[in-house]
Amino acid sequence: MIQHFDPSQHAKDLGTPAPDADATPVSVEIDGVEITVPEGTSVLRAAALADINIPKLCATDSLEAFGSCRLCAVQVEGKRGTPAACTTPVAEGMRVTTQNDRLARLRRNVMELYISDHPLDCLTCPANGDCELQDMAGTVGLREVRYGFEGENHLAAEQDHSNPYFSFDPSKCIVCSRCVRACEEVQGTFALTIDGRGFDSKVAAGQDEAFMDSECVSCGACVQACPTSTLMEKSVIDAGQPEHSVITTCAYCGVGCSFEAQMKGDQLVRMVPYKGGDANHGHSCVKGRFAFGYATHPDRITTPMIREAIDQPWREVGWEEAIAFAAERLQAIQAEHGRESIGGITSSRCTNEETYLVQKLIRAAFGNNNTDTCARVCHSPTGYGLKTTLGESAGTQTFDSVMQADAIIVIGANPTDAHPVFGSLMRRRLRQGASLIVADPRRIDLLKTPHLADAQHLPLRPGTNVALVNALAHVVVTEGLEDHDFIAARCDTQAYRAWRDFIAEERHSPEASEAITGVTAEAVRRAARTYATVGNGAIYYGLGVTEHSQGSTMVMGIANLALATGNIGREGVGVNPLRGQNNVQGSCDMGSFPHELPGYQHVADAEARARFEAAWGVALDDEPGLRIPNMFDAAIEGSFKALYVQGEDIAQSDPNTQHVEAALKSLQCLIVQDIFLNETAKYAHVLLPGSSFLEKDGTFTNAERRINRVRKVMAPLAGKADWEVTVDLARALGYPMEYGHPSEIMDEIARLTPSFAGVSYAKLEAHGSLQWPCNAEHPDGTPTLHENDFPIGRGRFAITEYVATEERANRRFPLLMTTGRILSQYNVGAQTRRTNNQVWHDEDLLEIHPSDAELRGIQDSDWLGISSRAGQTVLRARLSERMQPGVVYTTFHHPGSGANVITTDNSDWATNCPEYKVTAVQVEKVSQPSAWQRRFEEFDRVQRGHLPEVVQREATP
Amino acid sequence: MSHEQDAQLVRMVNQIIANLTPGRDQDAAAAEVCAHLEKFWARPMKQSIIACLEKDDTGLSTLAKRSVRLLKTKDRL
Repeated sequence: MIQHFDPSQHAKDLGTPAPDADATPVSVEIDGVEITVPEGTSVLRAAALADINIPKLCATDSLEAFGSCRLCAVQVEGKRGTPAACTTPVAEGMRVTTQNDRLARLRRNVMELYISDHPLDCLTCPANGDCELQDMAGTVGLREVRYGFEGENHLAAEQDHSNPYFSFDPSKCIVCSRCVRACEEVQGTFALTIDGRGFDSKVAAGQDEAFMDSECVSCGACVQACPTSTLMEKSVIDAGQPEHSVITTCAYCGVGCSFEAQMKGDQLVRMVPYKGGDANHGHSCVKGRFAFGYATHPDRITTPMIREAIDQPWREVGWEEAIAFAAERLQAIQAEHGRESIGGITSSRCTNEETYLVQKLIRAAFGNNNTDTCARVCHSPTGYGLKTTLGESAGTQTFDSVMQADAIIVIGANPTDAHPVFGSLMRRRLRQGASLIVADPRRIDLLKTPHLADAQHLPLRPGTNVALVNALAHVVVTEGLEDHDFIAARCDTQAYRAWRDFIAEERHSPEASEAITGVTAEAVRRAARTYATVGNGAIYYGLGVTEHSQGSTMVMGIANLALATGNIGREGVGVNPLRGQNNVQGSCDMGSFPHELPGYQHVADAEARARFEAAWGVALDDEPGLRIPNMFDAAIEGSFKALYVQGEDIAQSDPNTQHVEAALKSLQCLIVQDIFLNETAKYAHVLLPGSSFLEKDGTFTNAERRINRVRKVMAPLAGKADWEVTVDLARALGYPMEYGHPSEIMDEIARLTPSFAGVSYAKLEAHGSLQWPCNAEHPDGTPTLHENDFPIGRGRFAITEYVATEERANRRFPLLMTTGRILSQYNVGAQTRRTNNQVWHDEDLLEIHPSDAELRGIQDSDWLGISSRAGQTVLRARLSERMQPGVVYTTFHHPGSGANVITTDNSDWATNCPEYKVTAVQVEKVSQPSAWQRRFEEFDRVQRGHLPEVVQREATP
Repeated sequence: MSHEQDAQLVRMVNQIIANLTPGRDQDAAAAEVCAHLEKFWARPMKQSIIACLEKDDTGLSTLAKRSVRLLKTKDRL
């Protein structure tokens, strides 16, 4: 059943943003109605809160008041003229009139002028039924246009259809500047402007360019803000207005934006960012807003398939046969090779409920703890590092907390590309004057934030994070910048003293570290002083911290820095991992790791294990299972024989591709459950169709621990949601699971997981979202962690010795390669490559500094062979000064690029998180693809040929 | 367990020692490394690294051997 959620309580546009809720109350009288609102509220908003709806066009509550359209004119007793209600703040005792003959005439005159230069094609206009101009013409009672329509006008203005997702029709523009202001205030890109003056004023992208040629990042904020059809989604132009909508959660990055999926029957017409969404407050990025076409792409696998060996064609079968085939194979392998010879990988793209079920299947039905998830290769060091120092494996803040930060450190993260909606919020705070410190080998776009107050870039060498964070902490300690009160009250004294002695050693000074990190001592000292002294200091970090041989050490180094300066436990501070995939926090919470049951309860914890054993009716292994890289090693070695992979593409995303391929080929049974024939599925024996986020109910948990509902808007294309498939497989293995709806799975999670004890679908409906811990102690959830104490009692400083990675540049491999992501593509690209986002990034490129390029005779767009100790691949060159000399950079969004053929199996010492960020390479001009790429092309061709003909035909563009 | 697998596990133990033991005396260091292996390593990996104690030239450092011997005494496997 499709569940609808009534957004009306949030949908009303109150005209101007809310002021601080704790501002002094002010009482005013509007049209005889007494209203009390916080000081700073506009008359327009105060009236709207009392359901007195003053006409408006240029005002919307996502943007600051602008006062240009004159439609919201009102009269204030004792004041002259007719001030705009949007720009007039309430004052104690103010008496306002919003409707009388004078105001009606004024508004009609305003509308008359607008309409005299507007095409009268309402009946065929794409905004028909959703046009504020049309609504206001009706509201003010416009009956004639005395000026006629023959005068000078903009009706022939040239349209711009260059963006793949929306059109720009300036003939319909009323120059209200909402789009320009949205680009500035909400998105922070400043790509739009009003060009010209007076009658010649017009909206222009960039330097009067086409949208696609401008700096526009296609976030959709302008489209969302436009009150007419000037900026309009092409999907609405094609399909017409949607007829119902469902609130759900985006399935892209870890920001977890809420969207209204606007539907026509079971057709998704558009995704509109939901103003009531606690993570995104009505903003979006190009992926969540527009790149949803993959969900109904012809490449979708909709029928289960099986085969005996991977050199055989797939055979389409029914669900029952496929599940029975998989179960028989798993049982036979366990019978021959032992209980521990099989395992599974849960999906950070699937829901909490689905992830929970897969790890339950593995622990209870497989009878071992060989479960892992893609967090292994991204944020497992966050789990280890934060649990060790702060006692909880999660970020400490809400996203909104950044608006209270005075100094923001961003380490190894690229929020404008990888977490764009949060990146926009951060930019808003930076425009307000917060200081920015970026520690990154690359000059990331955040440093180019328009109107940035104060930015410091620490361009460290890849692999030297720990030396840098130690140097920062050294400055804090030796310059007396510690928060001694906080340390005394909240931290373990013995651990602190040991750490303090360690970090105060001269070898950690910025001067001593300079030769390691490449960052000047002066810059490090300035950054440390800024962070420790300007007020609230907040640290945000990403995979540039975790994906190193010292990823866990660096996470602890960050926690040390926050503890030493007292930047923990309140708004505006904290340690904030920016999680990669939509539900990577959730997949960790749900017990995907081999050593932890749901809620980070160790498998050796007898009390916790007993609760699960009682609920699940089986004895559970008290030893940790294999992690993903251990599974690969064991597969090659011959002791690990079967793997169930739900919604992950390890063949593309994991490092040292040739090692992964060898492991997958070694398996006797690989079961892949995915919406596409992904790279991993090409090595599979059973292919179970997955369901997209649009096809099921459940929850995702974002990077701020926020549990958000995912709501089904269409039936699963293959007939089953992913959780139903896992239930079927469990039953076939002789371990029946009885659930009628994902809400029942969440009820079980709540019963067994202390931090989720208060979570239920009913509560999520009531609250919109909940941040864990949500339990008796925190019945409404916990926006900020560690306010009063830590789960481990006191914060624990950790000794963070810098140990240089074994992956070092030398004469044979003189450059260091680091990998990352870009805005338009997502992870392995399986989703975004099947959308029009391809127009922005249809191949992975190798960014190289011009000086390194010149040394090698390389020019832009040359084909480059990139060799490492692990392998070789070929990419085209992009010369870029964003990299420092000696460092090259690429992305891994396209499987044929083979970026991970080059990355090695070096990994974090504590968690085995791969060291994607440091690979020593050599680069040279070449004329043909690498041997691996040629093998990949051939294998891909053969495997596509193994699909049933009907699937191949449908997938043909 | 192959020689390559052994080498990989030994490398992992040595890496754990390099990161986990600075600032600790030998007893505390061995206990800490043992606790890490106990908490995070799978049973077959533990068994393999314990088996390395009986082999020559595995590359286990003195502290690594001490830590693994301690793991062996836990006798939970």
